[in-house]
Amino acid sequence: MPVLLILILILVPMAAMAFLPGSGGRFWLARLINHFKFSRKRSASRKTRSCQSTGFSEQLDSGTLNCRARLIKQGTDDCIFDTIVVEICGSIYIPSDDYYAVVGISLSDVTHPTGEAMPVHSSTRKWQGSSSEVFCYNTDIGRLPEGIAKLTDWTAVAQLSIDWLVFPRKGKRKLRLSVSILSRDGDEKLVGAQSDFTYENPRFGYLDMQENIQQTKSLAVALAFVVGVADGKLLDCEIDLIKSWARGNIDNSQISKRTRRKFEKALDKTVGFFRSGNQVDVNEICREIAEIAPLAERYDILELCMHVAGASGSVGAEEMTVLKKLAGQLEIDIDRFRDMMGRILPVDMHSVEDAEVLIGVTSDMDKEQARHHLNKEYRKWNARATNSDPQVQNQADYMLKFIAQARSQYVG
Amino acid sequence: MSNIVGIDLGTTFSALAILNGIGKPQIVPNADGERLTPSAIFFDEEDSELIRVGVEAVNSRHLNFDRSVRWIKRHMGDKKYHKKIDGKKWSAVELSALILKKLKQDSSVEYGEINDVVISVPAHFDEVRRKATMDAGAMAGLNVIGIVNEPVAAALYYATTREVCGKVLVYDIGGGTFDVTILDVKGHQMDIVCSQGDHSLGGIDFDKEILKFLERNYKEKFESELINSDEERAKYEDEAEDIKKTLSRRSVAKKMLYGPAGNMKVEITREMFENEVSSLTSRIDMLLEVALEEAGIKPSGIDKVLLVGGSSRIPVLQQRLEKMFGFAPETTVNVDECVALGAALHAGLTMLREREEDVPAGIAASLKDINLIDVCNHSYGTICAPIDKQTGRRVIANRIILKKNTPLPCEASQMFYTMSEGQTVLESTITQGEDTAVEYVNKISTHKFKLPPDRPANRPIKVTYRYDLNQRMHCKFEDIESGKVHEVDFCLDQNGEMSPKEVKKRKGKKLKSVKVE
Repeated sequence: MPVLLILILILVPMAAMAFLPGSGGRFWLARLINHFKFSRKRSASRKTRSCQSTGFSEQLDSGTLNCRARLIKQGTDDCIFDTIVVEICGSIYIPSDDYYAVVGISLSDVTHPTGEAMPVHSSTRKWQGSSSEVFCYNTDIGRLPEGIAKLTDWTAVAQLSIDWLVFPRKGKRKLRLSVSILSRDGDEKLVGAQSDFTYENPRFGYLDMQENIQQTKSLAVALAFVVGVADGKLLDCEIDLIKSWARGNIDNSQISKRTRRKFEKALDKTVGFFRSGNQVDVNEICREIAEIAPLAERYDILELCMHVAGASGSVGAEEMTVLKKLAGQLEIDIDRFRDMMGRILPVDMHSVEDAEVLIGVTSDMDKEQARHHLNKEYRKWNARATNSDPQVQNQADYMLKFIAQARSQYVG
Repeated sequence: MSNIVGIDLGTTFSALAILNGIGKPQIVPNADGERLTPSAIFFDEEDSELIRVGVEAVNSRHLNFDRSVRWIKRHMGDKKYHKKIDGKKWSAVELSALILKKLKQDSSVEYGEINDVVISVPAHFDEVRRKATMDAGAMAGLNVIGIVNEPVAAALYYATTREVCGKVLVYDIGGGTFDVTILDVKGHQMDIVCSQGDHSLGGIDFDKEILKFLERNYKEKFESELINSDEERAKYEDEAEDIKKTLSRRSVAKKMLYGPAGNMKVEITREMFENEVSSLTSRIDMLLEVALEEAGIKPSGIDKVLLVGGSSRIPVLQQRLEKMFGFAPETTVNVDECVALGAALHAGLTMLREREEDVPAGIAASLKDINLIDVCNHSYGTICAPIDKQTGRRVIANRIILKKNTPLPCEASQMFYTMSEGQTVLESTITQGEDTAVEYVNKISTHKFKLPPDRPANRPIKVTYRYDLNQRMHCKFEDIESGKVHEVDFCLDQNGEMSPKEVKKRKGKKLKSVKVE
């Protein structure tokens, strides 16, 4: 092919990106610009702080397609986002004129020493495969002219927000980037490229989360026993409740009967451990839970503990103290804690009236704060006083009296 | 043309008022010549078909407590409440109907047949209790044309008989309930701003505190219980009420206690009484503050405070009002009668709106300039399953559609979405209450709305609630995509436990044959 023609085939598409209407290149460039604009719109003050490239191999073969991932940080002073910029360079052979092409991007985790690849998942449906959560990014690059399109410089084709990606595990990961140029209907793959890069994943991966779930539940059982023995005695009703929860929650669907028997034996041993007066490091357990469990699971754990506390039909002062401590250490806010208490351990079960737990008023509130807070509580419980359920009515009547007494005490 | 009547069916006392020929309401005395009839019932020991209502019933409590009933209003709407007399079970509705029958009977002596009435209820009464009150009226042979909130009835009477203008707070504390209603009054134009109420705060609760004081003092001296039977309790309840009334006039009240271990004289000062009821007065203060907050008004923004209900005579309550608002409350109207008088006016307004041809010209002329804008007494909503923002999980919650204190008539809509793919049934529940937690709201009705099959999730469903001046509610659930609509209409005489047929049947069975004296 004449040199001039080759040059034209290189330069014209590049020029067309900027100027010629209807060209796939302009469309391509326009999409990139729009993507940047879209990224900017998400945060008006967001700007690219720096572009950092991390350890990418750049063994280029100009006769074929090459790809690389460049990690950049975007954001403001308060909030910085990691973004993977996917770039390609090299040659793409287009078999026919007006060929509608797409870029397909996928990622896999190849950190494992054996090189076994684990898929990277997508957190958004938009980039999930049709029947799985595997990350699968596609973007239209429009119509390409027949022949060899050469990109001599690295050209960005996508920006992948780290928020879209769910890696298998936390920590330093070796990732394999796969870029393909495909026909729009996906039937024909024109060319593909791969490259590896490393990324420090700060979040738990999906495999971590699966394991964390099981670990969390085991720790939950421990905390439940702690609540059970808080008043100095572990009652049968408390043990039954904890065992029932453990059986229902810890995944033993795949295990054999033998293993299930071992599980039951372990539960019995745990009962024996606590009944003998042994203790566990509650602070450490809570710290671990707070680290690995999402908020929803921490609520579940506190609910379990509350059910255990109320298993005997009443909640004592020691149990209440432990519950309050657990709520704080599991980082559950006081209003949520009180809502849960209201549902699971209504006031008629309390052997001790704790104003902070029942109505949320604390000694560090000044008169005006206390007055405002008590009015809020009064409005809430007064609305419940005409409920058709007599139990709710009784609870509301009790609370209204308690709130009135508290007003005399805290407001005067 | 029938008489236009208003009835105050109170916890401790009831009254009936009628509109005269020129549209002025007047109290109709009972057969004993009393303007107020105690809301007490006594089933005669010898003749169980003979039922005494009023003063005689109050006095008979001391003789046979088990055959007496008082404060039945506190049990209105409670399906589980029954009073068993001679093997027959009487519900709260039926017992209230006896009181209404007595009022009807006594007034018909002078005025002839009483049919069309408006009955007053506490502002905080929910739909179940309002319906129960209407049912009681129907059972007593009355045509209940409407229900009016007690503070509103009182305000109506005040506004038509006195110079009342600006932001008015009606402070209604009767025998069993306490309501606060804030209105904007300009001459005969009355716009209700908001209402709040406490269902178990009234004169009888003050009496109970005094009774506890008496019991405590007796036990301290004699180490023995003062009260050993229901009849004795009934007697000392009346004594406690008497002490309370005395302390409204004097600074000290003295009583002799004749107990099983001995007799003692008890002296209770006003200060001691105020100390005993401090938790009740705290509750009253809180309700006032909550009502003002809800109305978005500071105490300094209130121009007038109207007192309603016998318990408003208690000095400490009036003093606290004066302290809060900076001026003394209005006391020129009879606090015991203004609700019934206002209810009669409300009956006239209702008749003018619905059956103008049945309203005598004199009454129509008197009432034509009065305009009352009422509000929705409670919030109405539906049960849905939103995603909890903190946990990312679906939760079952009550979502309010029509907010409390919205001026009537009112309408509100919200959009919801189907939850699952292929969903063909939508369980639509209409709720009443202010909570987001479903266990704390009343579920008025539940219906199944059939949806088209084979559709993805997230199909929009528009829910519209409309509440009109006649307390009729219209609920519409509309599937936007298909245009399918599910509509529910209910008014107080059509929902709940007692259908009109059942009311008539029960009336036929029990009340027709009983004699009320």
